[in-house]
Amino acid sequence: MIEIIHPGIMALVVDGGRYGYREVGIPTSSALDLYALSVLNHLLGNEGNAPAIEVFGEKFSLRFGKDVCCAITGAKVRASLEGRPLQSWMSFNARAGETLTVDEVREGFRYYVGFSGTPVLEKIIGSYTTNLECRFGGYRGRALQKGDSIDFTDVGMVNVERIAEEFIPRMMPPHTLRVVEGPESNYFTDESLEEFLGSKGRTAFTVSTKLNRTGIRLDGKPLAFRTDAEKSIISEGLLPGSIQVPGDGLPIIQLHERTLGGYARPALIAKVDHDLLAHLKPGDSVMFEMIGMEEAERLFDRKIEIVTSIKN
Amino acid sequence: MNVSRYGEEGIRILFGEKIDLEIHEKVRRYYFFLKSLQLEEITDIIPSFRSCLILFDSKKASYEALTASLREKELLIAHIDVPEPKTYDVTVEYGGESGFDIDFVASYTGLSEDEIIEIHASVTYKVFAVGFLPGFPYLGILDKRLYVPRLETPRLRVPEGSVGLAQLQTGIYPFESPAGWRIIGRTNKKLVDYNKEPYSIFQIGDKVRFIRA
Repeated sequence: MIEIIHPGIMALVVDGGRYGYREVGIPTSSALDLYALSVLNHLLGNEGNAPAIEVFGEKFSLRFGKDVCCAITGAKVRASLEGRPLQSWMSFNARAGETLTVDEVREGFRYYVGFSGTPVLEKIIGSYTTNLECRFGGYRGRALQKGDSIDFTDVGMVNVERIAEEFIPRMMPPHTLRVVEGPESNYFTDESLEEFLGSKGRTAFTVSTKLNRTGIRLDGKPLAFRTDAEKSIISEGLLPGSIQVPGDGLPIIQLHERTLGGYARPALIAKVDHDLLAHLKPGDSVMFEMIGMEEAERLFDRKIEIVTSIKN
Repeated sequence: MNVSRYGEEGIRILFGEKIDLEIHEKVRRYYFFLKSLQLEEITDIIPSFRSCLILFDSKKASYEALTASLREKELLIAHIDVPEPKTYDVTVEYGGESGFDIDFVASYTGLSEDEIIEIHASVTYKVFAVGFLPGFPYLGILDKRLYVPRLETPRLRVPEGSVGLAQLQTGIYPFESPAGWRIIGRTNKKLVDYNKEPYSIFQIGDKVRFIRA
């Protein structure tokens, strides 16, 4: 059992997400950094994308009610277990009664705290993840609060392991996000697209404070619509990573909570960089780089190979 | 039918360029065709007004192989069983605190509150898409006289069951949620049941009639 002493700014139960029901609007609501979740579960000896706690903000703290193996991945943090220093991207064994505290987030934004074992929570539509907006899944459909406790079955201790530095992603701004072309790139002027996806002398955007698990709104020089282009489209299917541009020209990066959208999509974030979206925070500088589909596929395949090699 | 790629793992199949019953029927037939194939490489399908968006598992099939295989099976489209749409009655308390934008709709359209309600409740609507939020039905086609623009800045919260208008669509918010549509009433009808497949009471193609409480 674990008991939350402090939830940081926000702590949520997440997993690999809900699939198969986007046709009735049920989004995946998955962990935003699936690479971090996957490596976390490897460190813990759990199968697949078992649930973990996605946190942002400092001071997150919890007390262990059982001996259990624990790990933190995602953002690089400085943490401690009963005063003994710990880092992210390594597993450690905690004893009943001990307290884990995250003192500082050094690089990145969201971090994942996981445990070996299975949480005693209800799966809804095939998943443990929290749909915060519609208040279902996870822990009673809401963010974790002080005093909440989650029990675990099949807990175990594992051999402590540390992930090699080369496999820990860089999360420091400025971020360069690779993108592939979207269906409405022709809604924008050539000049504007060049600046946006740009070859040389790219313009940077800034991550605004309008940021949550649904989307990330960017500030900067607005994209210019062609004079003959509509400012919206007939609402249709969206996938995570779609960049939507409403009438004001400022891009919104859509995350995992929407299945339909009605704005023009000049580009989509390449799969290889989806995990990095979890680490964009207000004020960070963001640039886009257009790549071809073949390169996007190659980069993502390479990332899958890395996960496989870590697991072996 | 226009097939294109949507990111690494998406296939976008476009059937037309406007909101139209005939185009939508093609979308619906194609959606049931895709479902009937039960392909394990297809993870999700998002049918809407004029397109089907397929999410596929790139570890199980390439874009080229999957689109080729769908093309080969296209002859089946004409022969699949498309389920008969269901018709639902939704009782609405119009105006007042439940429909706090009805005064705006009246001043924008020049209609009286009674006329707005009468027009809104006189049409049998079709569910063109379900999404944005779980179970949210995009209903059309709204009578042109009720055309109102969306809010420029969406509200952060409207109550569960709120019935809204936007352009030539009407819809129902299944949860307390952010909303950019103009709210003219509220219903008690539950639109989502997490414990029962397919979780949303409305499916694409179903019909909805509004009844004044």
